[in-house]
Amino acid sequence: MTHAIAAPADRADRADQTGPAGLEARLGDPLDPANPLGHAAVVAADERGEILAAGEEMLDACGLNAEFVPRSLGGRFERADRLAETVRAVFRRDVTLGLGYGITNFVAAAPVWASGDAGQRAWLARLLLGNRRAAAAYTELRHGNDFTRNELTALPAAPGFVVDGRKELVNNAERADAVVLFARTGDGPGSRSHSHLLVDMTALPAGRRRYLPRFPTAGVRGCLLGGIEFAGCPVPGDALLGERGGAMETVLKAFQVTRAVLPGVVVGALDTQLRTALSFAGRRVLYGGTVADLPNARSALAGAFLDLLVCDALSTVGARALHLCPAETSVLTAAVKYLVPKILREASYDLSVLVGARSYLREGPYAIFEKMMRDLPLVTFAHANAAVCQATIIPQLPRLAARGWPRAEPPPDALFDLGAGLPPLDFGRLAINARGADGLSAMLAVAADDADPRVAASAARLAAELARLRRRCRDLPARDRTVLASRAAFDLCERYIVLLAAAACIGVRRNGTGFRAEPDWLVGALARLEARLGRRERVPADIEARLTAELSARFDDHLTFDLYARRLAG
Amino acid sequence: MSHPPYAPYALTERLERRFGDPGDAARAFSLARCAELDRRAEFPAAICRELDEAGVAAYYVPARFGGAVRTFEDTLQVVRLMARRDLTVAIGHGKTFLGGVSAWVGAGPDQARRVAAEVLGGGVVSWALTERAHGSDLLAGEVTAVPADGGYRVTGEKWLINNATRSDVVCLLARTDPAGGPRGFSLLLMDKRRLGPDGYRCLPKVRTHGVRGADISGIGFDGAAAGAGDLLGAPGGGVETVLKGLQLTRTLVAALSLGAADRALRLCTGFALGHALYGRRLVDLPHAARTLTTAYTDLLIAEVLSLVATRAIHALPGELSVLSAVVKYHVPTSVDALIANLGQTMGARAFLATDDVHGLFQKVERDHRIVGIFDGNTLVNLNAVINHFPVLARMFAEGRADETAVAAAADVAQPPPEFDPDRLGLLSRTGCSLLQGLPAVVAALPAGTPPAVADAARRLCAAAADVHARMAAHRPTARAVPAAAFDLAREYVLCVTGAACVRFWLHNRERAGGAERTAGLWDGALWLEACLTRVLGALRPGPPGEDGGDGGDGGAVYDRLLPELLAQYRGGFLFSPLPCRLPEERP
Amino acid sequence: MPDASTVPSERAIREWLIERVAFYAERAPDTVDPDAQIVELGLDSVYALNLCGDVEDEFGLEVEPTLGWDHPTVNAITAFLLGELGHR
Repeated sequence: MTHAIAAPADRADRADQTGPAGLEARLGDPLDPANPLGHAAVVAADERGEILAAGEEMLDACGLNAEFVPRSLGGRFERADRLAETVRAVFRRDVTLGLGYGITNFVAAAPVWASGDAGQRAWLARLLLGNRRAAAAYTELRHGNDFTRNELTALPAAPGFVVDGRKELVNNAERADAVVLFARTGDGPGSRSHSHLLVDMTALPAGRRRYLPRFPTAGVRGCLLGGIEFAGCPVPGDALLGERGGAMETVLKAFQVTRAVLPGVVVGALDTQLRTALSFAGRRVLYGGTVADLPNARSALAGAFLDLLVCDALSTVGARALHLCPAETSVLTAAVKYLVPKILREASYDLSVLVGARSYLREGPYAIFEKMMRDLPLVTFAHANAAVCQATIIPQLPRLAARGWPRAEPPPDALFDLGAGLPPLDFGRLAINARGADGLSAMLAVAADDADPRVAASAARLAAELARLRRRCRDLPARDRTVLASRAAFDLCERYIVLLAAAACIGVRRNGTGFRAEPDWLVGALARLEARLGRRERVPADIEARLTAELSARFDDHLTFDLYARRLAG
Repeated sequence: MSHPPYAPYALTERLERRFGDPGDAARAFSLARCAELDRRAEFPAAICRELDEAGVAAYYVPARFGGAVRTFEDTLQVVRLMARRDLTVAIGHGKTFLGGVSAWVGAGPDQARRVAAEVLGGGVVSWALTERAHGSDLLAGEVTAVPADGGYRVTGEKWLINNATRSDVVCLLARTDPAGGPRGFSLLLMDKRRLGPDGYRCLPKVRTHGVRGADISGIGFDGAAAGAGDLLGAPGGGVETVLKGLQLTRTLVAALSLGAADRALRLCTGFALGHALYGRRLVDLPHAARTLTTAYTDLLIAEVLSLVATRAIHALPGELSVLSAVVKYHVPTSVDALIANLGQTMGARAFLATDDVHGLFQKVERDHRIVGIFDGNTLVNLNAVINHFPVLARMFAEGRADETAVAAAADVAQPPPEFDPDRLGLLSRTGCSLLQGLPAVVAALPAGTPPAVADAARRLCAAAADVHARMAAHRPTARAVPAAAFDLAREYVLCVTGAACVRFWLHNRERAGGAERTAGLWDGALWLEACLTRVLGALRPGPPGEDGGDGGDGGAVYDRLLPELLAQYRGGFLFSPLPCRLPEERP
Repeated sequence: MPDASTVPSERAIREWLIERVAFYAERAPDTVDPDAQIVELGLDSVYALNLCGDVEDEFGLEVEPTLGWDHPTVNAITAFLLGELGHR
């Protein structure tokens, strides 16, 4: 492999066509049956088990990959929150395309940006900017998310390594020119026995590597999930990415970025499901009125809207924290990856109850709803499942309780001000353990003095819950700090994560403008989150009415349902 | 071998043996073959023929009309055993019960026998209620039957109808009074063979999320002729007959969920025993084990509720309007959640659609979603509960309960009384005895009731009293039912599930508890303690380890269930509080 | 916490570490083999990262969270800490 540094083409001329608004314009009217990127085409491609070819061409044309490449390397990646919002436009249209074309490249690239040398970084940047693909080869189905027991080996053999073993469920395995390979390079049982290799697949001897057949899946059926089997395959020595034995550490840093970004983009899927459900509810006549007239339906729609806003607030704050509070993001990004997919999945289910039989059909005007429902769970499992995310947090709980929660200073306002600039994201500053630091949860106490009594009352209850968690977590039983952690520890962890989501919403409201600055959505969002903690109070009726009006207005005006309320095509 | 403590399981065991190990791909009715048909979206016709040869259709027909059904428990268990293997088969074959049910509840004896003969002869009968524009709003139906030539002329389309294309006879709900209304619709038996191919048109099969091989299509008529003798029951009686028939089907449809839940739990248990994480078997990690045991508990709750409600078809027909809605809401919803929870433990295997054992889980998930949607969805059933709030609140306050009938519903050792369709009602006048009698029963629990169970039962009564007090304050409205009423209905349903568990335990603990294979579940009322802990946790969700949540002991009762769960898995037994041997290969 | 100017003995460090590992593994300290991989005692990957907090609280010494990865046994950690404390 050669890591020649070549100056990437200047892509500034494309800037106006990229970003969320530019992408949306290129995606066109989703409901136009003639649109090759519309819902009908997306559903048809899924039926064929293909990734949407017209979508890939469009993303090639606007150079989506540049979003994943740091500006210093010729790309457009500067801010994790901006990246999430941009790629969200693709996910609103087609989760398969967003995952299969886009995010998978970013997942593969993150360890390279985090630990690669200048040559490796430049090489991958050039490859991606040339619309070629990178694959992240981590999974061995036998070991799931337990990376430290992965078996694929890369043994030193002059002048490089010899690789033996297989990787499975690798997105784009067969069409990726670059593969980031997580390989065992030592015999030990611990976390220093694995290394990353950045492999130029075009330079490998074809007889020593074999592509596995595609893994068919229930969701994202068009994604090319394959695998690679290596048999005594030589890999050059300069493929080693970062330190030998450093892969686990790199994973725990680099994947903080992807774990914050991935949930943020998938928020787009719920946006489309909610829009489809609204369309259904407005047209469907039952018992002499539209479904949208039924209080229960209005409540379900407003609830999904609030869920979406909560997901956006938490994932956006998580993404911004990578820039502003990198010492704390081992906890916060795991929280994002845990809670956001869970809320999205549950909201999708709740909406499916409303949409009824139409949610079960793979055809007709609401077929996109069914497809998104199938696609969503995959994003939950992809890239660290729920238990792995919680396992990152649970052993940290005692120290968070002892050091972070009682005396933390609230984070800087810039964490929540979506319009404020951010310092560069420095992968080197991302810590793999928060050492008890958690500024975000201090927002609960801040809001307990909020001028709005409804916010203040809710925040006071949430702050009391944090105090209760503190007592429980400070003395967390020993076993709960190990792999044998009990369900009680997982439940404490979940409650803490819900508090972080509440704190994120509080911060976004305090530092927001326009709709984001209004207390209504926050009161509703906190009620939804408190329900997750067992409180039985519904979202207050007046709040629900205001949110229903906002939702209808955004639906009519073709605006996104997230924190940004951006104009949509169509 | 002694008599099984639960007679209908003798039928289950006989049929299970006949169809053999579902894991044996060489068998006709195997998981692998069903999965392959699903991939090809092909109707399982050959499997349905085997079911016909096994005489399964007789379990869709009451004995009095020549069938084999003396208790609808047999119907429930037969559908459940099909659903354990494949929901497409269970729905594709079992839907004939839905096609025929109108005859069992609303036709005269001669006509009922005619339908019975059709079903027993292997005929496929479908039930055509819904239309493209109206869904569950039956009174908005636009298919018309206009009197002509001493019979009717039928015009219009029914859509999303199971077996609309494959069926021989369609039991059709049609508007016979242009003004519509509750007495404006009638049921007609449309015999497609008599109509001939020009007498109707089948609408294309609809592509669905799951049950991909099922014949979910539609049928249209353009002035098709029906004879006077094809009218089922009285003119104008269609809606009433349908609503009564739905009480049976909404109860028995639980079988689909029970079968799917058994399969999902079996797949996940096998995975947890065979897969390692952090150098340990998944099943040895407390968090994963807890997911298994809570899923097991949810399955036990769903089964007990289903059994009691199915026997209530016979014993408490006048209250079935409540119980059927409770079952049709609770069982599919809780099993959807059960499958989703297990999916978290399955990880990538939850979405892989490969042609090996790992591809099966996602199929169960997709297939099962239909159960909550069709034949009266979640919201329809909660609405039915809400409509009963006034009578339920009043009867609970008065402590009114038909304890003799409750005993007949709950005691599975005795055959239930004969089913009397004339006692079905559209709105229960006596509320729900199962729950209304609970406070009195709990006040006099038998000596030896474990203190933890007695305490949980008392807390359930307190929760029920609170729920009924709030139900009493609900102001009935025809249309704009407030969303809070739906929340209240969900809480009410939880109370009923808890009551069903207490009743089931009280009436079966001596006999069923003596069965060797399930003794561990009944010892110290273990399964009941787990179920009540689960119900109370849902009713009073609170911080874990304190009141509610996982119960005061942090959910240790669930951990005590693990050996029982694993014993039933390893021994090749149905996941159930009653012993039932399966031909599953024993791992 | 010991006075920062005095370096605890190797034995004291080892005994303290054994006590911590025994705490996590819920076993008697005399059953902890100081040459056993702590991974095998349930302190797998992310779970081992929290030893750094224990060390900081006990010795006032800030160490990398990967301490338990780079020095995977009680004896290895002891040797490392002894060196670090000695250099302080």
